[in-house]
Amino acid sequence: MWELLARSLEASTIFLFAALGELISQRAGVLNVGLEGLMLFGGTAAFITAQTTSSYPLGLLAGLAIGGFLGLAHGFFCITLRGDQVVSGMGLWILSFGLTTYLGNPYTGPLGLERVPRFFGLSPFYPLGVMLVATAWFLLFRTSHGLAIRSVGENPGAAEASGIPVAVIRYLCVTSGGILAGLSGATYTLSYNPVWNYNFLMGWGFVSLALVFFSMWNPWILLAGASLFGIMWQLSLSPELVLPGVLSRYVWRTVPFAITIPILCVISTPWFRTRWGLAKPEALGRPYAKE
Amino acid sequence: MKRGSAAAPEPILAARGITKRFPGVLALDDVDLDVYPGEIHAVLGQNGAGKTTLMNILFGLVQPDEGTLEVFGRRVRFRSPHDALTHGIGMVHQTRRLVSAHTVLENIVLGHPRVRGVLNLRAARTEVETLGNRYGFTVDLGARVWQLSEGERQWVEILKALYRGARILILDEPTSALTPPEVKTLLAGLQGLVRGQGITVILVTHKLPIVMSASHRVTVLRSGKVVVRLKTAEATEEILVHHMVGRDVAFRSTDRALPTGRPLLEAEQLAAFNDKGLLALRGVSFSLREGEVLGVAGVTGNGQEELAQVLAGLRPAASGSVRFDGQDITRLSPLQRWQRGIGYVPAERSEVASIAAFSLVENITLNYHFDPAFTRRGVLDDAGLERLTQRILSAYNVKAPHQHTRAQHLSGGNLQKLILGRVLSRRPRFLIAHLPTHGLDVEATAFVRASLLDARAAGAAVLLVSEDLDEILSLSDWVAPIYEGRFGAVLSREEADAETVGAMMAGSLLKGARGQ
Amino acid sequence: MKLGRYELTLEPRPALPPFHAVLTAVVAILLALAFSSVLFLSAETNIFTAYRAVFSYAFFNSHGLLATVHRSIFLLFCTYAFLVPLRAGLWNIGLPGQVYAGGLAGFAVPFVLGAPQVRALPPDLLIVLMMVAAATAGAAVGGFAGVLRARFQVNEILVTMMLNSIIFWLVAYMIKEGGPFMSATGEGESFGLPVPLHAPLLLGVPFTALLALGAAVLLDPLFAKTALGYRIRAFGESPAAARYGGIIPMALSLVVFLLGGAFAGLAGYHYFAAVPGVYKIPGNYGYYGDLGFYGIICALIARGSSLGAVPIVVLFAGLSLGARFAQGELRLPFGVDYALLGLLMITFVASHVLYRFRFAWRRIPPEALPHVSAELPQE
Repeated sequence: MWELLARSLEASTIFLFAALGELISQRAGVLNVGLEGLMLFGGTAAFITAQTTSSYPLGLLAGLAIGGFLGLAHGFFCITLRGDQVVSGMGLWILSFGLTTYLGNPYTGPLGLERVPRFFGLSPFYPLGVMLVATAWFLLFRTSHGLAIRSVGENPGAAEASGIPVAVIRYLCVTSGGILAGLSGATYTLSYNPVWNYNFLMGWGFVSLALVFFSMWNPWILLAGASLFGIMWQLSLSPELVLPGVLSRYVWRTVPFAITIPILCVISTPWFRTRWGLAKPEALGRPYAKE
Repeated sequence: MKRGSAAAPEPILAARGITKRFPGVLALDDVDLDVYPGEIHAVLGQNGAGKTTLMNILFGLVQPDEGTLEVFGRRVRFRSPHDALTHGIGMVHQTRRLVSAHTVLENIVLGHPRVRGVLNLRAARTEVETLGNRYGFTVDLGARVWQLSEGERQWVEILKALYRGARILILDEPTSALTPPEVKTLLAGLQGLVRGQGITVILVTHKLPIVMSASHRVTVLRSGKVVVRLKTAEATEEILVHHMVGRDVAFRSTDRALPTGRPLLEAEQLAAFNDKGLLALRGVSFSLREGEVLGVAGVTGNGQEELAQVLAGLRPAASGSVRFDGQDITRLSPLQRWQRGIGYVPAERSEVASIAAFSLVENITLNYHFDPAFTRRGVLDDAGLERLTQRILSAYNVKAPHQHTRAQHLSGGNLQKLILGRVLSRRPRFLIAHLPTHGLDVEATAFVRASLLDARAAGAAVLLVSEDLDEILSLSDWVAPIYEGRFGAVLSREEADAETVGAMMAGSLLKGARGQ
Repeated sequence: MKLGRYELTLEPRPALPPFHAVLTAVVAILLALAFSSVLFLSAETNIFTAYRAVFSYAFFNSHGLLATVHRSIFLLFCTYAFLVPLRAGLWNIGLPGQVYAGGLAGFAVPFVLGAPQVRALPPDLLIVLMMVAAATAGAAVGGFAGVLRARFQVNEILVTMMLNSIIFWLVAYMIKEGGPFMSATGEGESFGLPVPLHAPLLLGVPFTALLALGAAVLLDPLFAKTALGYRIRAFGESPAAARYGGIIPMALSLVVFLLGGAFAGLAGYHYFAAVPGVYKIPGNYGYYGDLGFYGIICALIARGSSLGAVPIVVLFAGLSLGARFAQGELRLPFGVDYALLGLLMITFVASHVLYRFRFAWRRIPPEALPHVSAELPQE
């Protein structure tokens, strides 16, 4: 049972990293629907690098770097070129989906390194995730930089008039978001499930994206949501631990996705939005043109 | 520029030969501006005269193509508002530059160079409170900006600029969204800043009474050029309007014989929520006969938008009912209302009333795609729509290269004429016009007003929503001041004088409300 | 970017002549071909030999040509499944889910009726039933996302993506490990269709080709000439203006997603029940779902034109098939068709930038050069 919980927490870490990056990026007003793509690319790069160099740190670094680079690319399209954020995000996702399948294919199979050390069965990434949540919360709500980030996401015109460099802040947030997405992918391929397979995420990134909407853009609520989904996800992978013999294992796999839809509906209702949803950054998804 | 008087101060801010070109437009042409310490300097001009561009240059938002700038006697070049702020220039924009989800204090400290790293809001609060006391204004620093009135928000911006160390304050159209009492408070406050604290104020406006009552000196801009510089004491409204417009403008007046007959539209205790889920319209009742204009006078954000949208079917009524021509239409869709002859001219011309990327013909189609006269078995009658567009373009004097131009290339005035022409071409029996002349130049304004009166003469009932009291008083048969979602009263034109209506717009005199 | 006294900037294009859209599509395709040559660099032959191998298989080999046609039909359906909601400003990335749903529903017809009924009823009727069932199932899946979008403003990208995963696993349940549709041999694929239910062929091509081409011809005038098309476009440009003009968002989102879903359902029917030699839901059905994403790129590059999408679809179908064939020939790594998918997306985004921006050279005014400080010393 502890093993299941430890594994669930590791699964939540993957949701958490990606969603936290997306949260920071969205707080600055940039939506990246291609989150899954960044995770795929980060995970694949980490896996290939770790396997060829036999070094976890190098693999992790490669994952972070590629995630950051793709975040930067998204930023260039959305901030500098003021392109449609959905077009760019979808582009990144399909790009990553296609290219990682091609590039990673020769590496299909297990990583072949000693497993990342665990403490009482718990991966070191989980405490890192909790620390990052605390850091992100402190940064966003207790520092002037956080105030600047939130202002850029709410009303970039007001921020600019106060002397805040809107574009710089957006670039920083999108790139950090990308780095965290890369970290998330690397956590998957290096620690959680060190076996490369094409399209290994199968929707993790989109669930993470949904988690950001559930979180009301608050890192602590995000942590709770990610933990919940991590447990649910792990249970859906091994339902026999709870309900042996009931329904096919394939049916259980649909559960995390199926639950996401009604939650999305509830948080989208006017009832919910007028009570809790005020946290949504007002300029989210809108390109900002300096006058 | 010596005045010969004993003091003869040097200008605190001097712009020389400022020229700015935008693609296809010469926005500013060799403009000089001298502002002296401790004065309120009005910059007067119509829309498109270049006032805002000039101010954006002074504030570093826009860089001039030619010309130099001196502040406190030093040559400067501003690359961003940040540079202007460090030189003691602060700006309060026409549209509020505040983050409405944040608190007043958070807004004031945002971007301040001394507030870096970990936020110490307690220290900042003390500083801001001291500053506020010194200048004599009190705002609840913990309140969220969206909870404040427009007047309070403006003071927050002024306080913010002062907290940043501004000695020169630029205010762009500061009175445009204020009630008459709020305007008085603002102007008195500015006088206090200038006299007591040595702040210099540049006041950008197109409103003559403001210039006459508040400023010491005035510079008039027209089409990007300085036309005249005057001491306000030496100017009259007539002189200024002549310089501002370049000629004299007269409005057409019509006879005001009130029609009789049974009511066409009856609203009973209408209430509606706004987008934030708050009850913004709180029980409004009125009735209108054919050929009558009801002017709803109020400052934006008092429920007018919700009223217009409820009547147009774009927002559900929380309670109450609307009857049109004897039938209950409270729950009808926008489409059903169009079909019954209710026309709506929304305030948001380019976001709601038109589609920027569509051609003019396609924009006309927006009110005709459901019309059996222009569709045959689901197929649009392109030729008919083109002829219709041509008729509207010429009848409403819309200046456009041709009818397949995209709507985004039309100027604000031409776009509004197109929209108004489109709605009026449906010959609506009831017309809702929301801020129909907001931001238009004098000529387009006169044309739009004349068109509204024509519609009235043709027998339409008109609900006119406006912030401009003069507009309301010159066009309406009935006047309803609106404040916080309620009508102060429904006054006949004879009962409605500027003072009464102005006071009701600001929420006073509600007790003496009279029904129709 | 600054180069000495000159500055190179990207400027938004003020107005776009109509030929510009065609031009950017052509540029996109050329870029795609250039980009895909990157893939062949790792091949042991030179790039031109590689391209010759790809194209001669895809278009000049009777077996390959037929495969290209089959794939083109599939991709056309997928393209329209994405294109119709796109014109209303909505992103239907639920193509895989809708394709699977179409396939499942098609196979459900003979399954539910049972072998005796299938033998008794006229096969033409059954084929029509299967097709209608597939289109309906796709439409239902799409319509679900459409309703949620209109009623609750739920992000359609997230919902359609969730549906993709859900239906993916449902197919696995249906055809694997003792699922109801599992083949008698138990190989993790569905039962094969009985011969009478194989879709009729015209010149070796299933009749679904006619449907796809019909859609290609009819969709453009639908958008350009009809009131419904106008409403879809108006809603896509500005939902607020559309609502003001009397268009009902709920109905419109539903219509485009129903229509889009039906196309994707037909794509599923086509590949699983009409392509000769398949006639079953294979164990690697996920591959066909992934192929559906080509539809997104084709629709985007065609800028919403149904007829304009046809050559793009045929080219990409041929390219992806030929590349897969060449993969063996040229000893390329697996997944060339996936790589192509990714590269084409860069191509689209790049051409999108060129469509909206142009490069401009401008001389920097001397006083704006960096060596001038913000303040000059006081005299």
